[in-house]
Amino acid sequence: MKRSGAIFAAFIVAVAAYAGTACCAPERFANTAQGSAARMGADRVVIDGTGRRIAIPAAIDRVVSLAPNLTETVYALGLGDKLVGDTNECDKPLAAKQKPHVGEPVDPNLEAIVALRPDLVLATAINRMETVDALTRLGIPVYTTDPQTVLQMLQSVLGLADAMGVHEQGAKLVAQLRARLDSIHARLADRPLQHVLFVIWDDPLITIGQNTFIEDALRWAGAESVVLSRQKWPQLSMEEVLRLQPEYILYAAHEEQSPLTLEDLRGRPVWRDLDAVEMGHVVNVSEEALRPSPGLVDVIENLARELHPNAFGSQIGN
Amino acid sequence: MPLEAKLETELGAPKLSVAQQSGSFAGTRAFRPLTPRRLLLICLMLLAVLFVAVVIALRMGTYPISIREIVLTLFDGAIGRRAEIPSDYWLVVFGLRLPRIALGILVGAALSTAGAGYQALLRNPLADPYVLGVSSGAAVGAIISLIVVPRLPGAIQIAAFMGAVATISVVYFLGRRGGQLDSATLLLAGIVTASFLSAVIMFLMTTLSGRDLRGMSFWLMGDLATPPSVNMGWLYFLLAIGVGTIFGAAADLNLILTGEQEARHLGVNVKRVKLVVYVAASVLTGLAVSVSGAIGFLGLLVPHVMRMMFGTDYRVLIPASAIGGAILIVLADTLARTVVAPTELPVGAMTAIAGAPLFIYLMRRRVR
Repeated sequence: MKRSGAIFAAFIVAVAAYAGTACCAPERFANTAQGSAARMGADRVVIDGTGRRIAIPAAIDRVVSLAPNLTETVYALGLGDKLVGDTNECDKPLAAKQKPHVGEPVDPNLEAIVALRPDLVLATAINRMETVDALTRLGIPVYTTDPQTVLQMLQSVLGLADAMGVHEQGAKLVAQLRARLDSIHARLADRPLQHVLFVIWDDPLITIGQNTFIEDALRWAGAESVVLSRQKWPQLSMEEVLRLQPEYILYAAHEEQSPLTLEDLRGRPVWRDLDAVEMGHVVNVSEEALRPSPGLVDVIENLARELHPNAFGSQIGN
Repeated sequence: MPLEAKLETELGAPKLSVAQQSGSFAGTRAFRPLTPRRLLLICLMLLAVLFVAVVIALRMGTYPISIREIVLTLFDGAIGRRAEIPSDYWLVVFGLRLPRIALGILVGAALSTAGAGYQALLRNPLADPYVLGVSSGAAVGAIISLIVVPRLPGAIQIAAFMGAVATISVVYFLGRRGGQLDSATLLLAGIVTASFLSAVIMFLMTTLSGRDLRGMSFWLMGDLATPPSVNMGWLYFLLAIGVGTIFGAAADLNLILTGEQEARHLGVNVKRVKLVVYVAASVLTGLAVSVSGAIGFLGLLVPHVMRMMFGTDYRVLIPASAIGGAILIVLADTLARTVVAPTELPVGAMTAIAGAPLFIYLMRRRVR
C-alpha cells in the first residue's frame, strides 16, 4: 500500500504540475496581450461609464454589444455597420437580429466574442462583472455603462459616441433627445403627477422601486410610481396594490409573453376591482421602457401623451 | 446472524450499511486483491480517458480550430514561441479553453473525491458534497462579499471559502456525540444547517438587486465559464493535499465501513480518521464551490459509478473518483458550451444529463 500511495502521490503531483503550468500561462499572457495591444495601436485611454480606465485603438471598426440597449444606441449613432456581433436578446432595430449572436447577455460565449475580433466590447449593468473581467484579462477592451437616470442615459450615449470615435454624431443625437425631453417637461411642468403602478412581471407581481431609470423616466412623463421601495425590483402583494389604488397600470410588453391586456385584467380576481382597471386605465408602454437607450425618449413622449392628453390636446398628430 | 436475517425478513426492510450495500455493487471484483499494479493500471486507464476528454474539449467550441492547429499552438506555446502563433488561436487555446478545462478538472476531482469521502463518513449512499451545507455556507459568504465589497477581485472566492470553513466548523460542533463525529448526528446537523443557510440565502437574495443578483444565481447553479482571477497553481496544490489526505485514510475507511467497533479492535483510530476525512472532504468542497459555484450531481454520481466499475475498495475508489469526476465534468462542460452555441447551458444540468444515463446503465447491468 505504501508503494501504491507513493505512485498515486506522484500522479497527483504530475497532474498538478502539468495543469499548474498550463493554466498559469494565460495570466502571464494576459499582460503581454494587453501590452501588445497597446503597442499595436491602443493610443487612446478613455474612462468608461463606471469609472474604469480602458485602452482602446484609435479607430474602432469592430464592435460587439452585450445588451439590447447598447445595440440600439450603436444603431442610433449610425454605426450599425460597425456592429459585428450582439446578443440573442438584441431585437431592435430589426437589422440587429441578423447580426451574429454571442449568446445571452448574462452568459455570453467568450469564445464567440473572441472569434469576432472586436476592437471594443460594450457592456452594461445587465452583464455580469465576471464577463467583463474575463474579457479584460483576454486583452479585449470592454466599455461599460451603467445609467441610473434618463440624463445619465444621455451621458452614456455621449460616452459611447466618444469611445467609438463619433463625437459629432453623439453630440447631435443627445442634443435632439434633450430638446424633446425639455419640450415634454415644458408642457407638463404645472400638471400634477399621475400615480401609476409599473408592472415588470405580473406573476409574481414585480414592480419598480426608487433609484431605477424607469422611475426617473416616469417622472419625465409626468407620472410617479405608487410604490416607494429602496429595492430596485420589489415584489408586491395584491393586497398592497388594492391599498395603493394606482390611477394607471403600466406594463412593458415582452414579445414572448402574452401582453397583460385590459380584457385579461378584467377577468382576474382582485385586479378587476382596481379603480384603474374599471376605468380602463391600463397602458402598454413598449418594451423599450426597460432599456436605457435613446428609444426611452420615445417611450417617455408616448406615455406623457397617454397620461396627460390635455397637455398635448392640440398637438396630437404632430 | 440467523437472528439478524430473521429480523430482516420479518421487518421487511433490510437495513444495509454502505459497506454491505456497496459490497454487493461490486460483485466478485471486490474480492480481487488490490495490487499496486492494478491501481496503477486503473489510474493510467482513467488518465488516458481524461486525456481524450481534454482533447475533445480543446477541439470543440464556437471558434473553429482544427486538431492540427491546436497541436501546433500547444507545441509552439510549450516551447515559448509565442510569435509563431496567430493571436486568435493563442487567445482561444491558452486564454479560454485550457483555463476552463483546468478549472473543470480541479472542480470535478475535488467534488467527486469529497463525495466519496462523505459517503463513507456518513455511511449513506445518498450523501453528496453539499449535504452538510458547505455549499450553502459558501454561497452566504459570497453574497455577503457582494454586499460589502462588490468590486474587489477575488473577494468573492475568498469570502465563499471562509463561509464554507465557518459552516464546516459549526456542523462539526453540532455533529459530535460522545466526543466524536457520529454519522447520524453529523448528517442531521448538516442538513439542518444547510436548510437554515438556504433560508438566509433566499432572504439575502431578495434584498440584493440588479447585477449582483444575476451573478449570484449563476453562482448558485455552478458555472465554469469565467475562471476566477485566482492563481490556479495554488488551487491545485490544495486539491492535491485534500485528495492525498483522503487517499491516505482509504485503508482505514475500508475497515471503518465494515464496522466502527471492528475497526477500533484492529487498531484504527476511528475518531481521528473520521475527523481527518471530514475536514479534507469539506475543504475540497469549499475549494470547488468557491471557484465555480455549486455544480450539482457530480459528487453524488461519480463515486457510485466508480464503485460499480472498480469495486468498493477506497484505495481504488478515491483516485478513480478524482479522475472520473474530472472526465465527467470536462465532457459535460464541452456539451454545455457547444450544444446550443453560442448560448451556454448550466454545466450542473449537463453533468446530470451525461452522468445519469451512465449511472442507470451500470446499475441495471449489476441488477441483471
